[in-house]
Amino acid sequence: MSNLRLPERPGEVIDRGTPLSFTWNGKSFTGHRGDTIASALTANGVEVFARSMKYKRKRGIMTADHWDPNLFVQVGDEPNVRAGSRRLEAGMQVSAQNVWPNLNFDVGTANQVVGRFLSSGFYYKTFMRPKWFWHNVYQRVLRKFAPGGRIHWETSTHGAYDKRYAHPDVLVAGGGPAGMAAAVSAAEADAKVMLVEHEPELGGHLRWGDADDLAALAELRSAVDAHPNIEVLLDSTVTGRYDHNWVAVMQRSHDIAPERLVKARVGSLVVAPGLIERPYVFSGNDTPGVMLSGAARRLINLWAVKPGSKAVVLSANPEGDAVIADLEAAGVEIVAALDARAGDDIAEVKGSGRVSKVVLGDGRTVDADLVVTATGWTAPTSLLNMAGDRPVYDPSAARYFPNQVPDNVLATGGITGNGSTAELAAHGTATGTLAANRALRLRHARRAAASRARSPEGPRPEVLEDTRTPLARVPHPECYLSSGANAKKGMVDYSEDVAAKDLVQAAGEGFDSIELMKRYTTVTMGPTQGKLETVNAAAVLAKARQMEMVDIGTTVWRPPYAPISLGALAGRIFEPVRRSALQDWHDAHGAAPLLAGQWVRPDHYGDPMGEALNVRENVGIIDVTPLGKLDLRGPDVTKLLELVYVNKWQKLDIGRVRYGTMVAEDGVVSDDGVTGRLGEDHYLMTTTSSGAGAVWEMLEDYLQTYRPEWDVHVTAVTGGLTSINVAGPKSRELLLRLVDGVDLSPEAFPYFNVRRGTVAGVEDCIIWRIGFTGELSYEVHVPSGHALHVWEALLANGEDLGIKPFGVESQRILRLEKGHYIVGQDTDGLTKAPSAGLGGLVKLDKPDTLGLPELKAAYERTDLPVLVAVQPDDPQLVPTEADQIVDGDSNRILGRITSSRMSPTLGRSVCLGQVDPSLAAAGTSVTILLVDGRRTTGTVQEHHAHVDPEGVRQNV
Amino acid sequence: MIVVPCPNCGPRNSSDLRPCGEITSRPDPATASLSEWRTYLYLRENPAGWVTETWYCRSGCRRYFTIERNTATNEIRDSEVS
Amino acid sequence: MAKHGYTYSAGKLLKHGLSSGAWPRMWRRPEARSSYDVAIIGGGLHGLATAYYLAKEHGITNVAVLDKGYLGGGGSGRNTAIVRSNYLTPEGVAFYDRSLDLYNTMAQDLNLNVMFSRRGHLTLAHTDSALRTMHWRAEVNKLQGIDSSVIDEHEVKKQAPSLDTSKDTRYPILGALYHPPGGIVRHDAVVWGYARAADHLGVHLLQETEVLDILCEDGEGPEGKGAGGRVTGVRTNRGDISAPAVVNCTAGWASLLSNMAGVTLPITTHPLQAAVTEPCKVFLPTVVVSGSLHVYVSQTDRGELVFGASVDPVGTYRVNGTLEFTEELAGHVLELMPGISKMRLLRQWSGLCDMTPDYSPVMGTTQVDGYFVDVGWGTYGFKAGPVAGETMAETIATGRDADLIAPFHISRFTEGDLVGEKGAAAVGH
Ligand SMILES: Cc1cc2nc3c(=O)[nH]c(=O)nc-3n(C[C@H](O)[C@H](O)[C@H](O)COP(=O)(O)OP(=O)(O)OC[C@H]3O[C@@H](n4cnc5c(N)ncnc54)[C@H](O)[C@@H]3O)c2cc1C
Ligand SMILES: [Zn+2]
Repeated sequence: MSNLRLPERPGEVIDRGTPLSFTWNGKSFTGHRGDTIASALTANGVEVFARSMKYKRKRGIMTADHWDPNLFVQVGDEPNVRAGSRRLEAGMQVSAQNVWPNLNFDVGTANQVVGRFLSSGFYYKTFMRPKWFWHNVYQRVLRKFAPGGRIHWETSTHGAYDKRYAHPDVLVAGGGPAGMAAAVSAAEADAKVMLVEHEPELGGHLRWGDADDLAALAELRSAVDAHPNIEVLLDSTVTGRYDHNWVAVMQRSHDIAPERLVKARVGSLVVAPGLIERPYVFSGNDTPGVMLSGAARRLINLWAVKPGSKAVVLSANPEGDAVIADLEAAGVEIVAALDARAGDDIAEVKGSGRVSKVVLGDGRTVDADLVVTATGWTAPTSLLNMAGDRPVYDPSAARYFPNQVPDNVLATGGITGNGSTAELAAHGTATGTLAANRALRLRHARRAAASRARSPEGPRPEVLEDTRTPLARVPHPECYLSSGANAKKGMVDYSEDVAAKDLVQAAGEGFDSIELMKRYTTVTMGPTQGKLETVNAAAVLAKARQMEMVDIGTTVWRPPYAPISLGALAGRIFEPVRRSALQDWHDAHGAAPLLAGQWVRPDHYGDPMGEALNVRENVGIIDVTPLGKLDLRGPDVTKLLELVYVNKWQKLDIGRVRYGTMVAEDGVVSDDGVTGRLGEDHYLMTTTSSGAGAVWEMLEDYLQTYRPEWDVHVTAVTGGLTSINVAGPKSRELLLRLVDGVDLSPEAFPYFNVRRGTVAGVEDCIIWRIGFTGELSYEVHVPSGHALHVWEALLANGEDLGIKPFGVESQRILRLEKGHYIVGQDTDGLTKAPSAGLGGLVKLDKPDTLGLPELKAAYERTDLPVLVAVQPDDPQLVPTEADQIVDGDSNRILGRITSSRMSPTLGRSVCLGQVDPSLAAAGTSVTILLVDGRRTTGTVQEHHAHVDPEGVRQNV
Repeated sequence: MIVVPCPNCGPRNSSDLRPCGEITSRPDPATASLSEWRTYLYLRENPAGWVTETWYCRSGCRRYFTIERNTATNEIRDSEVS
Repeated sequence: MAKHGYTYSAGKLLKHGLSSGAWPRMWRRPEARSSYDVAIIGGGLHGLATAYYLAKEHGITNVAVLDKGYLGGGGSGRNTAIVRSNYLTPEGVAFYDRSLDLYNTMAQDLNLNVMFSRRGHLTLAHTDSALRTMHWRAEVNKLQGIDSSVIDEHEVKKQAPSLDTSKDTRYPILGALYHPPGGIVRHDAVVWGYARAADHLGVHLLQETEVLDILCEDGEGPEGKGAGGRVTGVRTNRGDISAPAVVNCTAGWASLLSNMAGVTLPITTHPLQAAVTEPCKVFLPTVVVSGSLHVYVSQTDRGELVFGASVDPVGTYRVNGTLEFTEELAGHVLELMPGISKMRLLRQWSGLCDMTPDYSPVMGTTQVDGYFVDVGWGTYGFKAGPVAGETMAETIATGRDADLIAPFHISRFTEGDLVGEKGAAAVGH
């Protein structure tokens, strides 16, 4: 293969001393450190990098940077790598993607032949009949043609990425002359500055400029380097500006993570991204060998690569003129130097796989292998759009300019106008000073606003007026569409294969606003995000509608400014799992883990039925720490309880515990639990595990916003107290061996009472006598630091009593045998208090309680579903939870099974269910539809409790 | 990520707080008619403009407080800090 | 197709390809009349479908659809186009299933390929209680003849091999609700299909026409608005238009318009965001939803992954999107499919959702005569567009709420009879 590497160039970025070998489609090549994949391949004579999406046309280098639509390649397991910006590394395995069977021969090229039938939106207009054809045949074919690289499953990098927060006063997006100057002046004004540059070096367009440019660059760069207030992030892209100047930066130059997301709360954002060169629309404008002036200059000056041998240049601006000198210096013969300002034009380019002939505007045809165009600029206003700006088109300068941006966003450099390097830098300097002033005023205000933050230093800076002299808008011809007869065949969107004629057709069909046109033709929707295409698309539309560009508007540029990998956005995984102080013990003793909300819990220790039976027969202990626990103190706690529970709380003596249900303001059951009175003004409230956070916030809400005069302090102690339920007929006997300072006799410590005492030598434990399992049981709340000691003491002292730990599954069995419902399982988002069978618990004569009017209304209704206990008539059949209760053989739904288990105590299946009121009477037979479609019957029970409805066992 | 000024903790990322929506005033449950009550429960002005709304300083001081925010622009009134 | 119809077919494609002749416009840009029989506010799917069925089924063609921007510029052009009927309540299931039927024959009915792809829809369960809710939905679905069942993690892996179904993840996949007829559709095509068909039947599509006020008389509120009154027309940026029937189909903006008629809605507006990656070779055959992880994903025929989530917590009319949405999204998607960490997010966007307390719409007549609402579509209204159009047209033509939408009448909020869809609609869309 040919070697197109030039002799050393003054500004080149390659390290000729470090060769790097890599492969391209399986063949070995060598490049240098500093090369991009594309520059290395071009230096080796590679001309075709990809095939286009729809017509499979061969594509070559066009912008030679990150936005190049023709340089998407697969590198190892990474798809869609931009060969125009990705640095070459030794050993890279690079291949063309989206070609079949290979790059040189692709069967999809047949589409070129039928291309005339594949006009805009063609797929909307056909394949409708027969119906199966679309689904079974065409859609599958279409999917085969999906562009892009291949995902490799086995090599996830999830979790390897890092993130960073930053708080710069001024963040400068763009390290060209204006951006560098802005950074320096802002830093000099005492602002903390972050300067972010997309490319691996500072300098912007100066990097591939002439000797003067390089000299200016060196000076600016040393000023930046010299300033301690400036942090420079290279190879990093500002990808988004969100409300309140929340700015995202994707840093690709970090040593540890492959990409790092930097999230910056920025005082002032300075937008200095320069300009993006615009392709020119003519027939054949996507032939390899057609490139933009920036690409030619970058290839020659940065990587010392000769882009061709015989060139036609079409120039409408000084940058285009400069490329001629560069080409000549590189030994490229200039076949035609066309000046668009003088009316010169390119009509058409011919050649397959490489430019061979160029038809000029004047009708001449010349031989050439390279066409370089410099027909104008697109202002990359994305960040300004994201800040609310709607840039306005200026026909005299042939580009868009910023219009109105908020005070905390400032634009400078080429995006705002033209100028010499000195003028750009001067504008940047003034912008930096202004940005610093605004940022420092904000910093001062923020510090002053936060009572707990550092106080601001010194007085607030005075407002600096914006006295910047705007950069000039140098006239530029409007070069969009060539005058050639076939110009409309020219590509507007390279990645989507959308030609000008497709846009014209769409406009004719009624898709005549830029947004509709975009959706119909997919123009600007591809991976280059419209950076190269948007303005050309608007120009074609304007022409088709015979309107002015100004009246067309543009599509809104949406974040991110450059695509970001999902791994980097995700960062590391911070999804904590909560563990009780006993979870290690559970793990060590064979507990099956159960993820329940944030918690991991022991589901069982191997034999849930046996563990449950042991509770009925002997004694068991279970870790119920996730139970929400709120410590309530103050003289007005009773009032709070009256407000948030449906029942009455006035007469709760010290040492007593009461069960309560909560409903929301709409009368729907929201939580339940017990609350005990520990002292005159001291209570402990428990909530469901999943509702713990919400109940806490709800209490605070009513205390702070509704009854701020009430004196109540709420402290969450869920994790601070480890909760152990000791349940079973022998539980008292066990505790008698371990508890000091509490009289455990049934007379002194009856059901629904609470005491404080010492357990296994641990002082100040809270013990309450309640019974979710229906057995005699005590719930012991132990300061978590001592929890393991108490747990082990219980086990050791209970050995002869037959003690066994039990898990959540056994508890579910036991509670269902006992008929206790679980909020959220046996109730749902519409279950009002009467449905839950709360009966006498609810007190409607209170002056104020949550949802009171709804409760009153609900109690007048007779149509609400009712929660009942159901026993299947086949005692060995356990319906699945959520099986439907239906009306006989019909499909009419009359309720559903909400909980079901095999009861080890009764040796039969037991259920709770919600049923239509017509089925609620005890003894009613209901039809249950099983998952497999069979129907079975069950009988509604008198009580919710299947076991011990009188409550004898828990009252002993 | 907007910045919400907590009167205690100062300017904070909104993810530190929980938005609780338009302020509503709770009718007296003892005397409110069902229709008044359900208006309070469900109906919202939902304007595109300035609203007074409640926020809860969930990861900070746990205070509920109100701010005025413009739902068309996310600007927060009388706050120079965001 | 009636009136100025033009039928698309493969033959026409051939003919135009050979002759390079211009295709006709899909719809006109008509001059507005000063009065219409029905003025529909909102040129999204709901407004357009309502207009189409008014003309097609009820012969009411003196109809205008007014939109402040371009057709489909609201939620209808921003959604992720998941179509399914495996809802939780019998009311919901019946309603959405009718819509699915309409989607099934839409390409033929509207003579435009809307690319409905019934590729199957998986709602993952990561907890026992989620699995229970899936069972509940499956059972209710089956009773109404809907293809819906709970499958285990092995079956999930078969349906979507890219999912990580190992046990040692933070959110292990225990199973899923599988709904084979669910899928995705090309949302823009659906909008254009209805627009084109309505236009052909004589409906006026008035783009860039913003309704500034709804004109009323005899109501109890100021300016004759509110309960007990009736509508007389609308005021727009292009002048007044009189109409005895005005329909609010403005989704995210519904409250603003309804306040103009003196009818306060049970709605708050929240942004819903979505994002798309760069394309890569197709590997994900089904739609995958995870409620616990607040995320869903599908892959287009072009190879892009389309992601969505639940609504933003902060209510706002701004649609510029947030960074945290993309961070959370990526984190959660990679929990499900760690292998796609190197795929890149290409674009994010946001649309407005009109959220109701019970995740069900507000539809039909209101306390103001002649003022109809078809709002409260939240995050799930695209799939409902066809049936909403059909039932709204019937309601407007007859003055009586159609049976299928009776459960969604605004009075449920004063009667306290909410619909229980929250569990099924919150993330699934
Ligand atoms: C990101 C996202 C993803 C979604 N995903 C799904 C999904 O997968 N499945 C699903 O079923 N649903 C989904 N939805 C919801 C769905 O998009 C909406 O419910 C649906 O599009 C609503 O349609 P519409 O016609 O009622 O409203 P829209 O399409 O929003 O149309 C309302 C129209 O009203 C116009 N308008 C507003 N104010 C005025 C005025 N004053 N005068 C004139 N015109 C006005 C607007 O310009 C707009 O065009 C999603 C939504 C979003 C934002
Ligand atoms: Zn605070």
